[in-house]
Amino acid sequence: MVELIALIPFITGPMAFFLPRSAGRLLLILTGAVHLLLSLLLWTYRPLPMLSAYFALTDVGLLSLLVISLLFFLISFYTRDYLKKSGIHFENVFCGSMLLFLGTMTLVTLADHLMVMWIAIEATTLASAPLIYTHRTAEALEATWKYVLVCSVGIALALLGSVLITIAMDVGRVDVPVSVSALTGEAGNLDPLWLKIGFVFILVGYGTKMGLAPMHTWLPDAHSEAPSPASALLSGVLLNCAYLGIFRTHKIMTAAGLGAFSGRILMVFGLISILAAATFIVKQNEYKRLLAYSSIENMGIIAFGTGIGGLGAYGALICLIHHSLIKSALFLTSGNILLNYGSRLLKDITALVRRMPGTFLAFCGGFAGISGFPPFGLFIGKVMIIMGAFRGGHYVAVGIFMASLSVIFAGFANHTLKIFFMKSAAEPLPRETAGMLLPQYLLLLTSLILCCWMPEGLSQTIRNAASVITPGGF
Amino acid sequence: MNYIDTLLSLVLLSILFSFGSSRLPVLIRVIGFQGVVVSGLPLFIGNDHSLGGMAFSLITILIRGLVIPLCIYLIIRRVAIRREVAPIFGHHASMLAWLGLIAAAAFIGNKFTLPVATQNVLLMPTAIALVSGGLFLLMGHRNAIAMVLGYIMMENGIYLVGTTFSSRTHHIVEFGILLDVLAGVMIMAIILQNIKQTFDDVDTDLLQTLKE
Repeated sequence: MVELIALIPFITGPMAFFLPRSAGRLLLILTGAVHLLLSLLLWTYRPLPMLSAYFALTDVGLLSLLVISLLFFLISFYTRDYLKKSGIHFENVFCGSMLLFLGTMTLVTLADHLMVMWIAIEATTLASAPLIYTHRTAEALEATWKYVLVCSVGIALALLGSVLITIAMDVGRVDVPVSVSALTGEAGNLDPLWLKIGFVFILVGYGTKMGLAPMHTWLPDAHSEAPSPASALLSGVLLNCAYLGIFRTHKIMTAAGLGAFSGRILMVFGLISILAAATFIVKQNEYKRLLAYSSIENMGIIAFGTGIGGLGAYGALICLIHHSLIKSALFLTSGNILLNYGSRLLKDITALVRRMPGTFLAFCGGFAGISGFPPFGLFIGKVMIIMGAFRGGHYVAVGIFMASLSVIFAGFANHTLKIFFMKSAAEPLPRETAGMLLPQYLLLLTSLILCCWMPEGLSQTIRNAASVITPGGF
Repeated sequence: MNYIDTLLSLVLLSILFSFGSSRLPVLIRVIGFQGVVVSGLPLFIGNDHSLGGMAFSLITILIRGLVIPLCIYLIIRRVAIRREVAPIFGHHASMLAWLGLIAAAAFIGNKFTLPVATQNVLLMPTAIALVSGGLFLLMGHRNAIAMVLGYIMMENGIYLVGTTFSSRTHHIVEFGILLDVLAGVMIMAIILQNIKQTFDDVDTDLLQTLKE
C-alpha cells in the first residue's frame, strides 16, 4: 500500500495527457480523493513498505504526505473551475503534469534512501517545469528557464553532498545501506569531516529548491508566472519536499553529535532568508511576487526554528503545516484576483472588499494567518520558535528575527490594505463561484481548527519528528 | 603514472580546451569525451566486474558520451543557433582561471586521503576540477547552451566522485540518477529551442524581464 500511493499519480498522470478536457479535470479530483484516502490509511495503519531498502514511513514524511494529499485534493477542486475560466490552451499537459508532480512529491515523502530522495526531488523539478510554462509567454519561458537551471544546478550540489556522505561511510568503515534510518543508527561511526562537508553541500543544494536566500532567485519568478493552482502547489508543498531533504540530513548530523554545527548553519541561512524577504516585500509591486517572497520568509522561519532545535523545531514543524495551508489559500485567492482584474500589479487592484467580497474574505483571512495572528496556527509556531531561541540564549539572532518579521508585517499590511480598501469607482466584478472560494475557506478553516485543537496523534507525531533533530532529545 | 591517470590528465586538459574554445560544437565534443571517460572508469577502478555492472557502465557511456551531447548538438542544428560563444571574462582570464583551478584542485585533492584514490593520484583533483570547471563555464557565459554544457560538465564531475569513490549505491539507483539527468538535459533542450524561437537568440541577457 505504501508504494501504491506514489504509483497511482504516475499511472493517472500520463493518462491525463490523452484525455479530453472535462475528463482530465475529473481525473485530477478523483486521483486527489484516492490519494487523500490512502494517506489517511497510511497514517492510521503505518504498514511496512515492500521496498524497505528505499522507502520508509517516518513521522515527518507522514506529516508532509498528509499535507500534500489534503492540499492537492482541495486544489484539484479549485483547478476545475479555474481551468474553465482561464482558457488555458494545453490543458491536458497541465493536468498530466499536476498529477506527475503529485507522484514525485509523494516519492520524496516516502524516500528513505539518500539517492532515491535525490532522484525524487530532482523529478519534482522536471514534473513541475511544464506547469510554470503553461501560459507560453516570454515571461513564463524566462521563469521556467531560471527554475530548471538554478534548481538543477542546486540539486546537483545536493547529489554531490549525498555522495560525500557515502564517502563518510567508507572512511568510517560503516557498512550499512545508504538510508537515513540506517545512517542515523550508525551516525557516531561516520567520518565527521566528510559528513560536515556533505551536509553543507546538501543544505546549499536542497536549500536552493527550498527557496533559502541567497539561492532563492528562481522562486519569485516561478511562483508569479505559474497558473495559481500550480503556484499554490509549488509554494504549499514543493518547498516542504526540499525541506524534508535538509531535515533528514540534519537528523543524521544530530545523531552523529554534529547537530550544533548543522543547526548554526540552518539558523544563519534562515535569518538571511527572512532579511532578504523583508527587503523585497517592502518595495514589491506585484501581489503574486509578494506572496512568493512571503514563502521565502516562511522557509527562513522554518530553517531558523529547525536550527534551534527543541521547542524551536516543534514550532518550525507547526509553521511548516500552517504555512502550506495558509499560503496555498492565498495563492488560490490570487488566482481569483488575476482572472477578474487581469493584472498582477498591486496598483491595479482596488476596492477588493466591495468588488469581490468573497475573495476579499479569503485574502483577508490568509493575510491575518500568514502575518502570524491568532487564531491561525502560524502564531503558535512563531511564538514557540521565539521561546526556543530565548531558551537557547540566541538573543541577537532572535532580535534580528523579530525585527525582520515586524518589517515584513508592515510591508505586507501596507500593500494589502491598499488593495482591500483603496477607493475605486469601478463596478463590482462578477460573483465568484463556490468552487473558487470554498477550497480557500476550507484550508484557512483547517489552520484555524488545528490552532485551537490539535488531535493527540498529530501532536505526538510532531513531537517525535522534532525530537530527532534536537540534540539530547525533545 | 598509470593509464588511468593518463586518461584523467586528458580530462584535465579537456577542461582547458573548453575554457579556451569559442565554438559550441567543440564544447559539445569535449563534454562527450569527458562523459565517456568518467562513465568508463568504474570498469577499471571499481570492484564490480559482474555482467550487470559492465552492462550498466556501457549504458552510462552511451548516455553520457553520446545521447546527451547529441541532444544538445541537434538543438543547435535544428534552430540554427549561432555557434560562436565568448566567455564573459575573456579567453585569457579563463585560461588563468583554469591554472588556478587545477592548482586548487590538486591542493584540496591531496588534503583528503581516500583508500581508492591512493592508486590514482589524479582522481580527486580531476573530480574537483570538473565540478568547479562546470560551475565556471556556467557562470562565465551568457549563452544558454554554454550554460547547459557547464551543468553537464558539473554532473560528470559528480559522477566521477560518486562511482569511483564509493560503490555503495545499487545500479538501479544509479540508473535512476542517470535518467533524471538525461530527462533534465532534454527538458533544458526543449526550453532552449523555445528561447531561440521566442527571442531569436539564446543570450540570457534577453531573459531579464523578471528581474527585481
